[in-house]
Amino acid sequence: MEFNEFLFTNVLCELEDAVGRENCSVREADKITHSVDYFWLSRMWADRGKHMPEADVVVCPLNAEETSKVLKIANYYKIPVTTWGGGGGTQGGAIPVAGGIVVDTKRMDKIYEINTQSMYIECGAGAIYKHVEWAANEKGYATMHYPSSLNCSTVGGFLAHRGIGVVSTKYGKIDDMVLQMEIVLPNGDIITTSPAPKHAAGPDLNQIFIGSEGTLGIITKAQMRIYEQPEVRYFRGFLFRDMTSAFRAGKEILQKFKPSVMRLYDEAETGSLIKKIVGVEKKGAFMNVAVEGVKEITDVELKILLETFRKYGAEDLGAEYGEKWWKEKITFFYPGHMMDLPEMFGTMDTIAPYDKIEKIYREMKKAIETNFPMARFIAHFSHWYEWGCMIYDRFIVDDVPKDPKEAMRLHNAIWNCGVRTALKNGGVVNDHHGVGIKLGRLMKEQYGPAMQVFTGLKKQLDPNGIMNPFKLGL
Amino acid sequence: MNFTEKARKHIDSCRFCWMCRHICPIGNATGQERNNARARALCLSLVMRGAEKPEAVAENVYECALCSACVKECATGWDPVYFILEARKELATEGKLPSYIEKMLDNYEKSGCVYSAAEENVSLTEAKKRHSIKTDTLFLLSHAAIYRDCADTVKSIELLEKTGIKFTVAENEPSSGADIRFLIGDTGETQEAARNCAKLLNEYKTVIFLNPDDAEIVVREYKEWGTEVNAKLVTFTSFIAANLDKLKVKNKGVAIAPQDPFALGRELNETEPLRKIAAAAGKVTEMLNNRKDTFIAGSAIMAEYMPEVMKAVALRRFGDAAAAGAEVMLTCSPSEHAVVKDVAFDGVKALSVAELLLE
Repeated sequence: MEFNEFLFTNVLCELEDAVGRENCSVREADKITHSVDYFWLSRMWADRGKHMPEADVVVCPLNAEETSKVLKIANYYKIPVTTWGGGGGTQGGAIPVAGGIVVDTKRMDKIYEINTQSMYIECGAGAIYKHVEWAANEKGYATMHYPSSLNCSTVGGFLAHRGIGVVSTKYGKIDDMVLQMEIVLPNGDIITTSPAPKHAAGPDLNQIFIGSEGTLGIITKAQMRIYEQPEVRYFRGFLFRDMTSAFRAGKEILQKFKPSVMRLYDEAETGSLIKKIVGVEKKGAFMNVAVEGVKEITDVELKILLETFRKYGAEDLGAEYGEKWWKEKITFFYPGHMMDLPEMFGTMDTIAPYDKIEKIYREMKKAIETNFPMARFIAHFSHWYEWGCMIYDRFIVDDVPKDPKEAMRLHNAIWNCGVRTALKNGGVVNDHHGVGIKLGRLMKEQYGPAMQVFTGLKKQLDPNGIMNPFKLGL
Repeated sequence: MNFTEKARKHIDSCRFCWMCRHICPIGNATGQERNNARARALCLSLVMRGAEKPEAVAENVYECALCSACVKECATGWDPVYFILEARKELATEGKLPSYIEKMLDNYEKSGCVYSAAEENVSLTEAKKRHSIKTDTLFLLSHAAIYRDCADTVKSIELLEKTGIKFTVAENEPSSGADIRFLIGDTGETQEAARNCAKLLNEYKTVIFLNPDDAEIVVREYKEWGTEVNAKLVTFTSFIAANLDKLKVKNKGVAIAPQDPFALGRELNETEPLRKIAAAAGKVTEMLNNRKDTFIAGSAIMAEYMPEVMKAVALRRFGDAAAAGAEVMLTCSPSEHAVVKDVAFDGVKALSVAELLLE
């Protein structure tokens, strides 16, 4: 439907009535800042002096009730709605590619309760995770969710994209850290998921909406777990001669206990980023491990770690590099340390069982370096489970086509190649950044007929297709 | 906008980076995406590339308190305050300022003061008269204190009197340049204001600054501009802290959260005198973000054109004080006190140094 000035103004008045005029903006500065997220293509587009697709109006509701009113209006007029938390996503999930309404959740940032009896914080989904961490710290606890985007991303953003932090091997992903959520469905109904996450009362509603990237509704409130601060946190750096022995050592340690940090860097990343930031000069594959918790238990875990890794020929580099890495873990991501324009780069993180992961790594590296000789390929493996681990593999291209459309073509071709190689060898579309518009086209390739479960949910919950169109392959 | 090469580099570095979002006091208070360093840099980067008009982003350029929390936070050393000041200068040069900023500049042109209705309070005039005679020590009040926090300024004069020091208050105090710099950056007008103020300061052996913003600009920026000040420079807070024994302060045991103004906490690294004062009158209770990590609790000059946002900023800081278990939030900046004095918060009251010690 064409929105003429009269009708647009009329809709705007309705939205202002729902959330207050001051929380409803058509200012150019608001449209611009909600049009570019951390997705390389959106950044490149802006870098070339081009406007990204912008919302027609940016709306900032205070709570579920206001969000509900907004979605009812949007549904009536069939206006696209894109949810924006911190905008720190790398997959273009928050970009309003179809215009319409952007719902910015950051006014929903209230800390409702710090429940130390049941060990959770109930907060608005627009709360910046660092603020939730501060609230936990003030009571002597911690959220144990420490991604590089901790400072800038919201609770809802992490949930909607299935985020993960650097101590995930011990404490889990964001989907392990949530107890209950409040969600506004596309028709405006406000629902809450089960009072407890572990149950047999049918499928887990939490897990239906976690990772749904705003395509099935808007998360407005969540109960996020908090943890006791560890008595001790020991770091240990190791150097492996080759990746194979590192994988075997890592897998074996996970059968015995769970370290908090466990990060294996391939030879290329050890020789570049790790050398630059942490100062490891030696050749090989660097692995940084942290064990933490109650001192008596952790002392034993450290002993087992050293004994196990010694069997695989790992050189013990002591605590210094690990401590330096911990101190600098976010420094990697500041401009000037991180890859940045004019370079083209992308993180094709995937996950697989141990019997497939090494092959996926080698095949992806080969596929990228063979098909795109202008690209460098580096990788690390940073979230480990008893059954497998994830690859955080990145490509970097220095010489990028000047024409933005040609740059997009090259970018998408590299992604297609990398992700298809992962899928072919037993990996998934993505591990912890989500899908967005970047990888939506590849979802059907991973899921095949299973995709109808997602499309069925979408059709039932969002029959007008207004929620974050063209994302998640829906 | 003709940005310098340095500003261009900082703008392009910050435009896609959100690492300082969590410490922007304005963004935290409003929840608005446009209120962070990255948003301003992104908008300005499009202006630099000719893809956006300066006037479309002008208001956003003025929604920054220049508190430098983002500068302190940056692991690389990028400086949003630098490019925002330059953007303000460019907007002024190109005549593309928001109307409310133009109005404040008109005030400055007419009266030498950016605040509107710049008529002095009668009791403040009386208090100033008591100190019109030239001494070795100048008590520099600041325009924010005189015109937006006058009742407390009277109390500050009374408190200083109780220390027994002989001091002078200028009848017509010039701007230190802090206000005009806030509005249009480092321009010829700003440096002229600095030179004019320096003339007054150099007539004294000692200058006591009531407003940390003035102390900061005189200590740091005057030197950059080649404006010499030979007087000994002391903040009101540190002077009072050093003379507490003369004030016979009663400790009532109340929980007091010191509110570090950014000019002291981050720029001048002066944080302990405020705590010494708080400890004399009660029990020091630290807020989570304090000293160099402080958040502003308000800004008198921003309250001129975005009062509701300043109220939200103050409420947020009251919330921090409450979370720390404080009953009092102790401010030592007239610019902050001018805002927090009018904001009510259950369980926590805002007091200035003078209010606390004269209570």
